[in-house]
Amino acid sequence: MAVASSLLSTPVTHGHDDADQLYIETRELRVQGFLLFMVSDLVLFSSFIFAYLYLRNTGQGWPPPGAPHVDIWLAAMNSVVLFGSGATMHFALENWKHRNFMKFASWMVATIVLGLLFLGGQGVEYVSLYTKDHASWGGSGIFGASFFTLTGMHGFHVFVGVIYLTVLLLQATAGTYTFSKYTGLTLGTLYWHFVDVIWVVLFSIFYLL
Amino acid sequence: MAVENRDPAVRLDRGFWLVTLLLAVLAAIGIVYWALLAPITSWLPEAVDKAQQIDSLSRFLMASGTALFIFVAGYLLYFSIAFRRRASDGPDAIGVQIHDNNKLELWWTIVPAVFVVVMAIFSIQIWAGIQLGDNNGMVVEALGHQWFYSFRYPDVHGEITNEMHLPLGTPVTLHVTSYDVIHSFWVPDMRIKADMVPGIINTLRFTPTKVGRYQIVCTEFCGTLHGEMNKQYLVIDTPQKYKAWYQGWQQKNAHASDAIPTQSTGAISLSGGNVNAGKMLFTQKCSACHALAPFSQKVVGPGLKGVLSDPAHPNLVDGAKATPENVAKILQKGYKGDMGQMPNQTANGLTDKDIADLVAFLKSTK
Amino acid sequence: MAVAAVHAGGIADHIHPEPEGFIRKYVFSIDHKIIGIQYLVTTFMFLVLGGMLAELIRVQLMNANGGFMTPDTYNEVYSIHGSTMVWLVIIPMLTGAFGNFVFPLQIGARDVAFPWLNMLSFWLFPPAGLMLYGSFLMGAPAAGWTEYPPMSLQGQAGTSMWCAAIFLVGVSSTLTGINFLVTLLKMRAPGMTYTRMPLFCWAQFVTAPLLMIATTALGAALAALFVERQFGVPFFDPTKGGSPLLWQHMFWFYSHPAVYIMILPVFGIVSEVFPTFARKPIFGYKMIAFSSCSIAILGFMVWAHHMFTSGMAPFLQLPFMVLTMLIAIPTGIKIFSWVATLWGGKIHFSTAMLFAVGFIATFTLGGITGVFLAAVPFDLHAHGTYFIVAHLHYVLVGGSLMGVFSGLYFWFPKMTGRLMSEKLGKWTFWLFFIGFNGTFLPMHNMGLLGMPRRVAEYDPQFQTLNRIASSFSFLMTFAILLIIINALYSIKNGKKCGHNPWNARTLEWQIPSPPHYYNFKHIPSVFANPYDFNEPLPYRGLEDELTDAPPPVPAAAH
Repeated sequence: MAVASSLLSTPVTHGHDDADQLYIETRELRVQGFLLFMVSDLVLFSSFIFAYLYLRNTGQGWPPPGAPHVDIWLAAMNSVVLFGSGATMHFALENWKHRNFMKFASWMVATIVLGLLFLGGQGVEYVSLYTKDHASWGGSGIFGASFFTLTGMHGFHVFVGVIYLTVLLLQATAGTYTFSKYTGLTLGTLYWHFVDVIWVVLFSIFYLL
Repeated sequence: MAVENRDPAVRLDRGFWLVTLLLAVLAAIGIVYWALLAPITSWLPEAVDKAQQIDSLSRFLMASGTALFIFVAGYLLYFSIAFRRRASDGPDAIGVQIHDNNKLELWWTIVPAVFVVVMAIFSIQIWAGIQLGDNNGMVVEALGHQWFYSFRYPDVHGEITNEMHLPLGTPVTLHVTSYDVIHSFWVPDMRIKADMVPGIINTLRFTPTKVGRYQIVCTEFCGTLHGEMNKQYLVIDTPQKYKAWYQGWQQKNAHASDAIPTQSTGAISLSGGNVNAGKMLFTQKCSACHALAPFSQKVVGPGLKGVLSDPAHPNLVDGAKATPENVAKILQKGYKGDMGQMPNQTANGLTDKDIADLVAFLKSTK
Repeated sequence: MAVAAVHAGGIADHIHPEPEGFIRKYVFSIDHKIIGIQYLVTTFMFLVLGGMLAELIRVQLMNANGGFMTPDTYNEVYSIHGSTMVWLVIIPMLTGAFGNFVFPLQIGARDVAFPWLNMLSFWLFPPAGLMLYGSFLMGAPAAGWTEYPPMSLQGQAGTSMWCAAIFLVGVSSTLTGINFLVTLLKMRAPGMTYTRMPLFCWAQFVTAPLLMIATTALGAALAALFVERQFGVPFFDPTKGGSPLLWQHMFWFYSHPAVYIMILPVFGIVSEVFPTFARKPIFGYKMIAFSSCSIAILGFMVWAHHMFTSGMAPFLQLPFMVLTMLIAIPTGIKIFSWVATLWGGKIHFSTAMLFAVGFIATFTLGGITGVFLAAVPFDLHAHGTYFIVAHLHYVLVGGSLMGVFSGLYFWFPKMTGRLMSEKLGKWTFWLFFIGFNGTFLPMHNMGLLGMPRRVAEYDPQFQTLNRIASSFSFLMTFAILLIIINALYSIKNGKKCGHNPWNARTLEWQIPSPPHYYNFKHIPSVFANPYDFNEPLPYRGLEDELTDAPPPVPAAAH
């Protein structure tokens, strides 16, 4: 992600604080490009969601006979953690906009910690599925194909997001962004909210449906 | 900004109308040829009723396609010649500066749209005749293998791997599926085909209308010898001849097993069965029909929890006592009875080791 | 209408310093024009490879019992032939090569929105090609370019390599799509409204979202096939609960829009070539642009018409059939508009124009057979036969490839400053046109009479038709070699032609050939649609382009 966002950069001078015409136009391009990138990422998720719904409605019905029992309470707690991180991320950016670096940094740290907590929760869920029900990616039939693929893909996005946000925090600390030039932070926030929204969908189709 | 009336008036000259007339005549000839004259049946006989329906649609499509192509290609050629840059034109000569003609554009949107509607209605009509029939015909099954077809007939044991015969005039419901990869069942003289997809049953319904011997062709790529999967024939017989053929097979296959030939025939060694592997297999292969619950909880077959340990559990479906060996035998051979049919080892894709694992797992349920 | 000026200090004023050294200039260049030419050269190399495979196929089919190759080799050959032509030739040629080179010039931009991303897109592409051909070493995929499971699950090790290679091409396409879309949305010169964009830009504008969305869906399908093959995760294997039809849905959800990725840019090329050589405005500009949009949207709703015989619920066949037939309407509008553009023109038959006119004829035929196939009952007969082979080659070779050749003859002078030989070009056209029709016309008959596709040997009744097809195919291959020879020869020895040999009116022809690395000395303003031949050019600010005026000052290096 960090790579993607730096590839979307056109060389821009940093240092002086007022956003000049070049910066404004470049920001527009980068935000637009990043939004389109997220659209194609959304298509990737949608394809696998389609695959899951297709498999779910053909074959043996859902859950497939003998599929491991997923724990909705663990997942619900995990969801709360992730949505909470969405809120903290929002506060972080707001504080940046209000030129309060210390508050920004604390909210960022909170976001990263919540992200890590979510990953930990997912790890606990995987381990318990594996030890209790011998569920595995390749060995659990279409349950493995859909559940582990989709939640795994999402977990990977969270993992990348945690690294991405860490890099952004370090960059912000090092003075890469100014209070009027912070496109990178905006893109990071967009990405994190995107990951949140995907989780809403995944949670509904796997735990509620 | 744009000057609305800058487009000069369009004058179509006599040449244009003459060419239009010529193209109309050619198109009419094309239409008459495809609609009435084209000897389709001498190229490819119409073996079943559906072939006639599809050919009538093909005639319609060919006729309209030919007419459309004649007009497009004709005007393309005519304009190319008539409006080529001539030696007398300077290098700066420009054409008539027309941008649009709303009326013309409206027409060439409406006319194709109407045509599409007509085509769609006609296609849907034919489609309904082909796809919406009921399954009350004589049921025959065709099964794809790498690289041959086999056929199953009612009251004929086993499978027929030679020619497929059908009686003239009897409605047929043909179910097709595959044992391995995707094949397809196509008889060009029937004009219809269905893919043979493992795990899915596709159905063709038709009534044979013409006695003859017709090639069956596989049109879905199915591996090395896909190209050779055209060596079997569908034979449409008179009812008398068909009956003789059918009874011949009934006698010939009188003692054939309905089970698909299994890989292993001897008793299966049950040593070393793995309970966990068996549990996994049970969820994949068995649980669609058997619950992991007491005997009385029937899904398709009975619940199998404690089948080998519960003293109250009755005998197995084939009347044998519920011992590990007898359970393994059913898993191996399959069973056909009034409850339905349990696929055998091959159809279920079970190795001997898998059966050992399954028996070990069933033993562990109490 | 007032035309907004370029904002001082904005991107249009921001010029990269001139790249120095061979590597930065020609290998890892970020200049869209160089990247376009890199794509063009690479795709033509793959065209030669794919063409050689095609000739192997035609040689094998000279005899009913084959015998030139073993069936297994034959299966590998045609699978790689199809994959090459679709993913390594036509798609990157139309978007990567012509898209990159032409449309930023046409909209008056200095480069695409993300030049570095553009470079990355290109450099993902040759390795993918090498991987695809590398799969021959480990046992190539052999289930056709569609790689239907369960066949592809049993395929040799190279099938996984195929997945990875096509995935890479897909990533490259997706990034290109994003890049082009942002460029077209945000970087048009002042005054270049959507109704003033040249139609080639419109074509790219409509293609870019297809690239972006459909290709990602393909990526998902490929990833699923890959993990199923390598790690046994069951998506498609029916014995483990998966569904072979799921692959067909996921694959065709990409591959049908991909058909339009392969043809819409060609519509754009033809829409530039026709007015330029007929010396007439394109007829029905808005309808052509609008029909491209409707084709793209409908293109996402018709994928299952590739699966009429596969075993979908019959009632689902109806909407797919009717929607597919609907596509005939916008496509028809385009064809009629092009034909009407010729009426009353002063047509100059350059090679580019010949190929464009030839394109209309063959594409019309391919389009008509496409409508036939949309009708479910007809498809029940023709599906999976040589009729399909004929149809798809009429659309992709007679359509896309002829459009590409037209574009090559048209824009070659802009790329090099020299003309390709017109005399040889006209010979080439007729050789190609006759060879093409001789090869693929008989295939309609073969298919309808009962010859299935993807066979290494066939029923002897089709031998005569196959021999006719094979013989003509050599003519076609020879013509393609002549085009390549012509281009290579003309780079150094072609006639010098100045900046605008065709007297064309779009922006790219108003600046020197080849253009400077910064494209425009000053970004021009646009006042009208470019196709009015009786009016002065609708641009302001181009006065310095052809003079010795000093180039713009690059932005300070960072």
